[in-house]
Amino acid sequence: MHWVNAVVMLIMITSGWGIYDDDVIIRGFHFSSFWRLGDWAAWSLNWHFAGMWFLVINGLIYLAYGFASGRFREKLLPIRPSEVVQTVIETLHFKIAHEDITVYNAVQKLLYIIVIFAGIAQVVTGIAIWKPVQFSGLVSLLGGFETARVLHFAGMAIIVGFLLVHVALALLVPKTLWAMIAGGPRLKARGQTK
Amino acid sequence: MASLRLMLVCGMLAVATAAHAQSKTPGGMPPPPGMSLAESTAMRFPQPVRVGDLVGRAVLRPVESQDVLGRVRRVVRDQNGRIMVVVEFGGFLGFGGRPIAVPVDAMVLLGQDMEIVAFTPEQLRQFPTFSPTGTTDVPADTIIKVGLAKPSH
Amino acid sequence: MKSPFRPASPPDTAILDDHKPLVRSLERRGFVRGGLSLGALAMLTGCDVTRPEAVEAALLAISRFNDGVQALLFDSNKLAPTYPASMILRPPKFNAYYDVTNVQPVDGAGWRLEVSGLVANKRAWTLSDLQALPQRSIVIKHICVEGWSYIGGWTGVPLRAFLERVGADLRAKYVAFKTADDYPSSIDMASALHPQTLLALQYGGETLADPFGFPMRLRTAVKLGYKNPKWVTAIEVTNDYPGGYWESLGFPWFAGI
Repeated sequence: MHWVNAVVMLIMITSGWGIYDDDVIIRGFHFSSFWRLGDWAAWSLNWHFAGMWFLVINGLIYLAYGFASGRFREKLLPIRPSEVVQTVIETLHFKIAHEDITVYNAVQKLLYIIVIFAGIAQVVTGIAIWKPVQFSGLVSLLGGFETARVLHFAGMAIIVGFLLVHVALALLVPKTLWAMIAGGPRLKARGQTK
Repeated sequence: MASLRLMLVCGMLAVATAAHAQSKTPGGMPPPPGMSLAESTAMRFPQPVRVGDLVGRAVLRPVESQDVLGRVRRVVRDQNGRIMVVVEFGGFLGFGGRPIAVPVDAMVLLGQDMEIVAFTPEQLRQFPTFSPTGTTDVPADTIIKVGLAKPSH
Repeated sequence: MKSPFRPASPPDTAILDDHKPLVRSLERRGFVRGGLSLGALAMLTGCDVTRPEAVEAALLAISRFNDGVQALLFDSNKLAPTYPASMILRPPKFNAYYDVTNVQPVDGAGWRLEVSGLVANKRAWTLSDLQALPQRSIVIKHICVEGWSYIGGWTGVPLRAFLERVGADLRAKYVAFKTADDYPSSIDMASALHPQTLLALQYGGETLADPFGFPMRLRTAVKLGYKNPKWVTAIEVTNDYPGGYWESLGFPWFAGI
């Protein structure tokens, strides 16, 4: 589920960059063809409107499971601001060894919650700019069509920022990578408990 | 049979893509060498626009990334009666630019913005700083004609 | 850890000891390695992702599925937001599959609107014929697939009224358009019958200018800009999918907003 999401999110982001180039939001800034999925606008759109189904279905299952099993409550709460500050300081000092990777530290909790909300925001703003007449009420709530477009872009920027931190930290603490592929932390051999 | 259908789709797409590449002309190309600015505007189906609606508009480069060259400050007539658009050129986020006078026939309307199609940014950098001496402001309610272009992505 | 995917207590790793000799003997016989070939995978899935046409065909299939979803989402009673006439952009933004220098103006006096397909009355219409019909004005937001938008005002004959007048079969699926600039286009009947879909003759209260489709263009408030052909010369009511210029290049057909 994590890896489906990773692939689908990359599809949405890179095809979104292709769509963005068709009328840039930040004047003077566009994505070169290396970063775009889809030879040109038509195919970027097709990728985007295909990936969206997988993103939403996978995301809904993830959210449903997370709430129903109590996993969200257990792993993502509570967050204490003092813990966040402490963890940031430790990370900046590269004290990132993580004894029990099934327990999230305060910064992890915060970032995961942010990216979940950003993902939901992308679906909401995406629906608004996809069908601004059918969902004109939603578009008004978001401040108009042009603003909804900017919000969709901003949500992407937040997610990309998260991805850079997420991937960097996973590479710096390699046992997390193994756990994500194998489904859990590696057990010690021969009758020892983890 | 599935492979035959796939081949047809692929062939159709290949032909269509080639046709698309041939028929599509990029937006905002400069006038061909030898053509006067007035003639090039005449070819761009110039449309009436209210001078007051131009002031404050962003002036863009006719490229995919839509670089902002500046903003329209005012519209004047020079000593010869030619209409010039005074553009606050260069600078960043409204600071550090200088006004230059660009002939309106070197520009096009692009929706709520304008573009300079006849001069590159390098050429514009050589323009002298605008001086109001000898020019008259064109009143805001005056209707002038400005050429059009399609988006340049 | 309450995950149903992980055992309550970790398994005793001693059980692996019994398996090790068996696993080693399997590996020696090459069973494991052979079964993991890419060719075997390809046969399993029936889909070869190294061929781009297959990927494009899959994307287009999903695009057609999305057309169906959009048709379901289309509420024919939902009106697009309207704006005050003071917000009309003058002149509007020009776009086409070529730059404005290639626009071919149409002679209004000689222009005829051909009508064909599932209609009772197939006579051609002149510009004055259309101007004599009751007109409607709308001030709505034009949204381009590229992402930009502007507020524009159009006046014209509601397409629904025109279709009723020519005795069109309103249960047909498509209304197709031909234009003077070789830009075929078509929309679904439900969108054609929407009250904010016009055969537009004016922009901002004045006759359409040449670059914006004189003498007549389609203007609907419920579709992206590319579904609004300019310089329309023929209308056909049909049940055969007519497609369109951009659709042949991969763009979605329904394109509703």
